[in-house]
Amino acid sequence: MNSAANRGRRIALYVAIVIILLWTVVPVAWMAISSLKNPADVLSRTPLLNFAPTISNYSGLFTGGNNLLSYIRSSVLTAGISTILATALGSLAGYGLARSNMRGKRHLAFWIITTRMVPIAAVILPLYIGFTYLHLINSIWALIVAYLSFNLPFAIWIMNAFFADLPPGLEEAARVDGASRMQTFYRIAVPLTAPGIVTTAILCLVFSWNDYAFAVTFSGPGSATLPVAASQLITQTGVNWGQLTAIGTVVALPMVIIGLAVRKYLVRGLTLGAVTGE
Amino acid sequence: MSFELKMMLPALIVLAAISIVPFFYLIYMTLNKISLVGGTGISPQWIGLRNWARMFTDPDVGAGWITMVIFFVATVGLEMLLGIGIALLVHEMVWGRNVTLSILLIPMFVAPVIVGLLGRFLVNPTYGMYAWVLRTTHIFTGNILGGHVSAFVAVVLMDVWEWTPLIVLITLAGLVSVPDQVIEAGRVDGAGYWQRLRHIVGPSISGIVLVALLIRAMDALRYFDVIWQSTAGGPANATKIIPLRLYEVAFQFLDLGYAATIGIVMLALSIALATLFTGILRRRGLIG
Repeated sequence: MNSAANRGRRIALYVAIVIILLWTVVPVAWMAISSLKNPADVLSRTPLLNFAPTISNYSGLFTGGNNLLSYIRSSVLTAGISTILATALGSLAGYGLARSNMRGKRHLAFWIITTRMVPIAAVILPLYIGFTYLHLINSIWALIVAYLSFNLPFAIWIMNAFFADLPPGLEEAARVDGASRMQTFYRIAVPLTAPGIVTTAILCLVFSWNDYAFAVTFSGPGSATLPVAASQLITQTGVNWGQLTAIGTVVALPMVIIGLAVRKYLVRGLTLGAVTGE
Repeated sequence: MSFELKMMLPALIVLAAISIVPFFYLIYMTLNKISLVGGTGISPQWIGLRNWARMFTDPDVGAGWITMVIFFVATVGLEMLLGIGIALLVHEMVWGRNVTLSILLIPMFVAPVIVGLLGRFLVNPTYGMYAWVLRTTHIFTGNILGGHVSAFVAVVLMDVWEWTPLIVLITLAGLVSVPDQVIEAGRVDGAGYWQRLRHIVGPSISGIVLVALLIRAMDALRYFDVIWQSTAGGPANATKIIPLRLYEVAFQFLDLGYAATIGIVMLALSIALATLFTGILRRRGLIG
C-alpha cells in the first residue's frame, strides 16, 4: 500500500469532516453569538465577530409585558407532565405488549405505531373541536393531552422493544422464588431497562418541548410555550432578532444537552426500536 | 383478564380516547360544513360529499400537493444521500469519531420552529450572515426568501440541515454492525473500497437504510414548522406545502370541514408508510 496516497486520503477525509462540522455548527453558533450582541451589532450589514458582549437580550426577555417566565413555566409543565404520563403508562403497556401472546397482537401493534405517525396537521382539527367543547383551549391540559397523542404510542412502542430484549431467564427465576408478576416487573424488568426508560423520557421531552403546531393552536396567554414566545417576536413592526436568538438559545440548549446525554441509545429510540445501537 | 392486558389497559384506554375518537370525528368533519366563528360555538352542518367533490377540483390543493411532493423528494432524497455519505466518512475516521458524531447530531434537537426562524435570520437580505457570504462571493445577490426558486432551495436546505444527522446516526449504526472480519476478508480478496461498498457493506446495511428512509418519510409528512416560520408558504405560495394549506383553510378561512378532508388524505398516506414500516419490523423479527 502506498503510504503517501494513504496519507493524502486521510487528510482529505478530515478536511471533508471539518467542512461538514462547519455546516452543522455555524448556524447554531451564530445564533448563540448574536444573542450576546446589542441591537445595533445584530443588525450590522457585515457580520461582526469583534463586539462588546451583552446579556441585555436575555435580561430583556424577563422584563416588560411578555415576561418569559410564564412561557418557561408552561413549557416545563406541559412537556414535563406529558413525558411523565407517557413514560409511566408506556412502560406498563410496553411490558404487557412484549410479554403478551394474545391473538391480534400484530393488529394492536400496528394501530399503536400508526397513531404515532399521523400528520400533526390532521390531528389538530378534531382535537381543536374537542378542546373547544371541553373548554380546554388556553389550558395547559390541552397541550398535555395533545402531546400524549404522539408521546404515548412512542413510549409503548419503544419500551416494548427494550423489554423484549431482556433475557427471559431472570424473570422466570424471580417467579420461581415466589415473586408476583407485578413484583417481577418493577423489581427485575424496570431496573434492567432503566437506560431505556430514561431514553424514552428524554425523547418524549424533546418532542413535546420542541412542538410548535399544537402549542400555537391550543394555547392562549395562560399556556403559551417557548416556541410560541419565539414566533411572537415577529411582529408587523419588525423583528427583534437579538431577543429572538436569545430565546432560540434558551429553547435549543437544554434539549441538545439531554439529547446527547443518551446518545448511545438514540438510534434505538429514534428508529422506534428497529435498529440497535453500538 | 390476563396480566398482560391489565398492564396495557390504562394506556390503551387513553390512546383510544385521543386517537380513535378523533379519527372518527375527523371523518364526520369531512361530511360537514364546520365554521369557526369567534371560537364560541361550533355547529356542524351536514353537506354530504361536497367537501370531497370540492377537494378533487381545487387547484390550490392540487398545487399544495405538487409542492409537497417536490419538497418531500428534494429533502428526503438529499438527506438520504448526504446522510449515507457522511456516515461512510465518519465510519472511516480513526480518531475523533465520537466527538464528531455528537456535534453532528446537534441540529436534530433544535426545535423546528427555531430552525425556521434562524434560517430566516441567516438569509435576511440586509443583515443575514449567509446572505452576506453569498453576496460577497457573488453567488447570489438578491433577496433569498423573495424569489420562488431561491426561497424553495432555502427551505429545503433548512430541512436538510436539521434532519440529515438522523440518517447519519441510523446508517452509522448499520455500518458499525457489519463485522470487521467480513470487510477484512473482502480486502484480502483484493476488493477495493468501492467494490467492498457495493458488494459487502451495501447489502448488509440496506435494511437499516430502508428503516432510516421510512422513519424520515413519516416525519417529513408530520412536521411543517420549518417552512411555516421561515416563509409561511411564500413567496406567492412557492413553498406552500399541503399541511400549511390545510392549516390556512382551517384557521384563516375557518373552514374546518374542508380542512379535515385534506387531512384524511394525508392520514391515508401516513398509514400506508406505517404499513411498509411494520412490514420491515416484522421481517427483522422485531414484532410478532
